[in-house]
Amino acid sequence: MTAPILVVGEVQAGHLTSPTLECITVGQHLAAGQAPVIGFVAGSSARSVADEFSHVGVARVVVVTDATLDTALVAATAHAVAAAAERVGADTVLVGGTTFGRELVGRLAIRWNASAASSVTEVRKEGDALHVRRPIFGGRATETRRLDGPRFVLALRPHTFPVPPDAAVPSNIEEVPLPSLPPGLLVARRTALEPTSEGVGPSLGDASIVVSGGRGVRTAENFHLVEELAAALGAAVGASRAVTDAGWRPSSFQVGQTGRSVSPQLYIAVGISGAIQHLVGMLSSRVIVAINSDASAPIFRVADYGIVGDLFQILPALTAEIRRVRGL
Amino acid sequence: MEIVVCLKPVPEAETRLRAATDGRALDSEGVKFVLAGYDESALEQALLLKESIAGSRVHAVSYGPGPRTEEVLRAAIALGADLATWVEAPPGTALDPIAAARALAAAITSVPHDLILCGKQAGDDEAGLVPPALGELLSLPEFSSVVDLRWDAGTSRFRFLRSTEEGGERWESSGPCVMGLQQAWNDPRTAKLPNILRSRKATIARRPLEPVPAGPRSESERFELPAPRTGARMIEYKTPAEAAQQLVRLLREEAKVFP
Repeated sequence: MTAPILVVGEVQAGHLTSPTLECITVGQHLAAGQAPVIGFVAGSSARSVADEFSHVGVARVVVVTDATLDTALVAATAHAVAAAAERVGADTVLVGGTTFGRELVGRLAIRWNASAASSVTEVRKEGDALHVRRPIFGGRATETRRLDGPRFVLALRPHTFPVPPDAAVPSNIEEVPLPSLPPGLLVARRTALEPTSEGVGPSLGDASIVVSGGRGVRTAENFHLVEELAAALGAAVGASRAVTDAGWRPSSFQVGQTGRSVSPQLYIAVGISGAIQHLVGMLSSRVIVAINSDASAPIFRVADYGIVGDLFQILPALTAEIRRVRGL
Repeated sequence: MEIVVCLKPVPEAETRLRAATDGRALDSEGVKFVLAGYDESALEQALLLKESIAGSRVHAVSYGPGPRTEEVLRAAIALGADLATWVEAPPGTALDPIAAARALAAAITSVPHDLILCGKQAGDDEAGLVPPALGELLSLPEFSSVVDLRWDAGTSRFRFLRSTEEGGERWESSGPCVMGLQQAWNDPRTAKLPNILRSRKATIARRPLEPVPAGPRSESERFELPAPRTGARMIEYKTPAEAAQQLVRLLREEAKVFP
């Protein structure tokens, strides 16, 4: 592979997200020193993010400083990315597999006429094709797909690859204009942002640790035990469908078939029996811990570590122990 | 309002997965196919909109091989869809999300559409690429992970919430547009028996797959099941504090997931 690789930067709270950094690692691996990895970032805050980008091992950074993209559709960003990919002669575009990243990949596959895959956990170049591995069926199986070239656009599964070390010398930053957008892309606008989970802790899709509560928590009032453990761990809070159906927590907390799919480094299931509808949303977590009073609960068959016990006793002890070792 | 809903048949959640003999895909022998979970939300959302806007119709469109594709369309009719179109994939066609989007887009272009609803991803390949690819193919705005969709008759615009990693995003858009539904704000309805019986005789428009334009594609070459989990390592303890200490030690020293 000799053509450059373009990494699309996603920005959260004014900084590059860690899935973006993971893409740089994968880009460097694919380029194998034969081609540059180039960063791309767009939006009104792009200039300051570009500085950050220039310090993490990309050969240069392409910036589109245009506030239109802040509240516009992903489709508009796809236009800008396709133009940038043309400009630098890239044959591969990488982006973190977030909501934004997956939409971008679907759009670019058509706009830039590229082979596409999402939730990629491994990628290998062979001749003119890429072979990508990705979890399917909620982590109950994996598939390897062959993507035909010459162009590729991949959304990489977050929390899968290491982040690159900081570069000693910052790379160059090049500002390019926003290509003209079809008026049809400006019919929609974002009117407001509502912070996640009532503003506490990291969001579910993004967290490296998730603590979820299920029916075993028994009441809405008891759910604070789950939230305190999550807070001690710096984790996001999730729930099984039993909890959201009962209205103990809003449906945005739900992990599983009809809720969110998560793949954190650590998933702690508290009072969750482990119905398949829940498992498909969390099975691809790296390490799974189950705490349940029923030793025959199916969750113990998929967990790495299990505690059979009364969660009302175990959770406060666990929260205290974690606070102790973390010096909180 | 003319509402198009894109539906995909997927193996039901309880399916015992195994690889086909060539090792490239799921062995679908004896597998029961049902409406994908998020697609069920999309259909429910379409039916709710239809009920709230006089003169609306719901048109279910699906791409795939028979008989499963025809079956999910009949299920959609039993639930209240007015029209159904089946874009037939020849048996044994490897389903590529981008090719599926092209097949659906060709069908949608030839029917009236003020709103196109999809599940945000299907429960089998979980690619989530069809809604954005459809948006690009039809030159329409597309929104994924929509959780709460309303029609504002006063302004003739859709108002909705998207659930993203950063939290909720409130949006408004005029139609037509494409949406990938994450969850309906009501539980999906179930079909009544007389409607199920009627759906068996309903007309389904069949559309042959148009020749796919030459271009990049992808194909599954290997389907693997993870090594069977051996079950959890169970922590033995006398007091809750001891259980907590042991777990934290294992997470730090053995699993190395905890600083």
